[in-house]
Amino acid sequence: MPHIVINNRKCTGCHMCELACSAWHEGMYRPSVARLSVEVNPTTAAVRGRSCMQTACAKCEEVCPTGAIGRHEITVKAEGLEPVSGWVLRVDETLCDDCGLCYEVCPTGVIRQHPDRKVAYKCDLCDGDPQCVAFCQNPNVLAVDVRQSKVEKAGVPA
Amino acid sequence: MDFYQGKVLRVDLTSHTVTTEPLNMEWAERYFGGKGLLFRYLWDCVPHQVDPRSPENPVILMTGPFAGTNVSTASRLVVGAKSPTTGILDDSYAGGSFAPEMKFAGYDAIIITGKAPQPVVLWVKDDQVEFLAATDKYWGLKTSEIEDALREDLDEEVKVLSIGPAGENLIPWACLSTDQFHKAGRGGHGALFGAKNLKAVAIRGTGSVSVGDARAFLADMRRIHREYVLTAFNLWANEEGTPILVDPVNGAGVLPTRNWSAGWFEGAGSINSESLLKVKVGNRACYQCAIGCRQVHEAGGVRGEGPEYETIALCGANCGVGDLEALMRFNRECDEWGLDTISCGAVVALAMDLTEKGIADFGLKFGPSEAYLAAPGLIARREGIGAELALGVRALAAKYGVPELGMEVKNLELPGYDPRGAFGMGLAYATSDRGGCHMRAYSIADEVLEGTRPPDTMEGKAAQVIAGNVSNGFIGQNFSSIKFSGIFCDFWAVTPEQLAQMFKHVWKRDFSEEDIMTMGERIWNLGRLFNLREGVEPDSLPRKLYARDSAFVDGPSAGKAIGEETFEATLQEYYRLRGWDERGVPTEEKLAELGVDVRL
Repeated sequence: MPHIVINNRKCTGCHMCELACSAWHEGMYRPSVARLSVEVNPTTAAVRGRSCMQTACAKCEEVCPTGAIGRHEITVKAEGLEPVSGWVLRVDETLCDDCGLCYEVCPTGVIRQHPDRKVAYKCDLCDGDPQCVAFCQNPNVLAVDVRQSKVEKAGVPA
Repeated sequence: MDFYQGKVLRVDLTSHTVTTEPLNMEWAERYFGGKGLLFRYLWDCVPHQVDPRSPENPVILMTGPFAGTNVSTASRLVVGAKSPTTGILDDSYAGGSFAPEMKFAGYDAIIITGKAPQPVVLWVKDDQVEFLAATDKYWGLKTSEIEDALREDLDEEVKVLSIGPAGENLIPWACLSTDQFHKAGRGGHGALFGAKNLKAVAIRGTGSVSVGDARAFLADMRRIHREYVLTAFNLWANEEGTPILVDPVNGAGVLPTRNWSAGWFEGAGSINSESLLKVKVGNRACYQCAIGCRQVHEAGGVRGEGPEYETIALCGANCGVGDLEALMRFNRECDEWGLDTISCGAVVALAMDLTEKGIADFGLKFGPSEAYLAAPGLIARREGIGAELALGVRALAAKYGVPELGMEVKNLELPGYDPRGAFGMGLAYATSDRGGCHMRAYSIADEVLEGTRPPDTMEGKAAQVIAGNVSNGFIGQNFSSIKFSGIFCDFWAVTPEQLAQMFKHVWKRDFSEEDIMTMGERIWNLGRLFNLREGVEPDSLPRKLYARDSAFVDGPSAGKAIGEETFEATLQEYYRLRGWDERGVPTEEKLAELGVDVRL
């Protein structure tokens, strides 16, 4: 199943992914509401990326009482990578009542309350053309990738 | 307005008051952003003939229209003021993430005047601005300490622009630090912060930058990155970074060595790129930069970004130090105390030279030593030998009656390229708008790095210093002026035609290459007018770097000299090509032709 992986060791901390994510979804550059995040500590040079594991995790889907979080078929064709088909978890904002249960269970904190719309929002893989991958620039340091999780590779149902 | 936030924050430290005002969009259209717009605001905000260290002298933090978008490298911050070191304008740039954060907080520029009655930290969180008392808690902290403290006390995502103890003690080359390793290094902006009792500006922005049709803009930026940014011509910066310059510059015999007494350093092999790659542990990038040039090294108990080429040249070769671990420790000391490494290496090298010649005794000899490593801290605290070294190269050399040993232009210490084997750099230093600086015209790229122009002639160099070699993306004064108004990093060898493609998104109209170059020339002329208004020294170069009797006696550039007459003739040729009179004053015809909107 496709999802975004940030390699903390290879990431240079340029934040291009957050910028592109917010521009695509919000129609303007606003990285504080990006659907993935990269935290860089300038003093230690440590990088910590957070992204959605989609159906490999699915805790938000399990806990959602209104059915706002649902599975949708998707084929991800990211630049320079083989196409990956599978499922993506999306929020139907008309069904979300901002109860906050998903915010609490998300292990990476990437499903959150939108500061303006007051509903849950999360990574939807940009209709199959993830902008974070497209803008993860350096070919030597490709940090945002579309991979199968180990759980899925092992055949364990998500 | 897309790209611009249209808002300026004005801060008066004396009264602890803040106001906002609209960004002057007429100026933005004429001068774009960054350097150009900064110059226009300086012209307006700096009281004529103001004492640079007085409260009335403003410090301006300026962003570019592209900060906070996917335009690669264009995240830089420019800090500008009438420099307390040179007495003329100084635009000093820092990478990192401060400028985009300013944009997300809602500001294109922050203009800071006055002097706080007690030390303060200015804390800007979106539209909330506070003055935090700094006397007990923050004053005295080194640069990494103040950043860590403010992240802990305010917000873990806060971005900090701070001074170290060197700025507090008004050292003439005290710099500003952000994201720990990024410095607005030159011209003494740290001393200006110190004179204003301003320890740091901390900022957090959660707003947005609009660009019009964001998805169309994203698509165009993807194309631009693929075609123009991620090319072999730029990725040297990712793979090796600026240390890649050590070998060719040393090979050409123009690497300043032992206080500019030689152009070739026998110890360069242990502080070159090859040596640094052995201790490289990774890459870091500035905000919104695809190139990621920051080389993280670990050696000598020091882990961090750098040293960059200029540090290697001035604090390494010029101090006779070919010991990588010592150099890395010295670099870190400068970073932590808040000192510019170019000027610091230059003054320590001069102190070594004076000691070796028996003119003075600073307990410093060429080569690595405990005294060498202790120098930055002593200077920053004005303790021991530091009290005298803090004079800077010009005043220190003059004090001991040997001004000929001080390598500076307009009281700014020279960077790491000796003009004796790269003649164009001599003119570039002499005519730079902020004194001895390599980042206005980088003739060395043609003369030494690419070999596209002979290094040991002045023929054609006046034109080259003005225009650069723009088809290769090599900067000259006009092109760097508009490039740094973007604010693009020099490590993207962008061309005027490529800039035009990006400027079109901002102003929704077509720009020609000629339009771009005219804007650059307009900005350069505006800077010249500012300097003439405030009283700039005549354009010159230390005699040693062009006189026939001081050519190198050995090394690859042995026997080469610009010569006194040729230097003067080229300077006049430069003024003529610029449309300036023989004293370097822009003519009315030239100013009118360029659309400069101010006059002396």
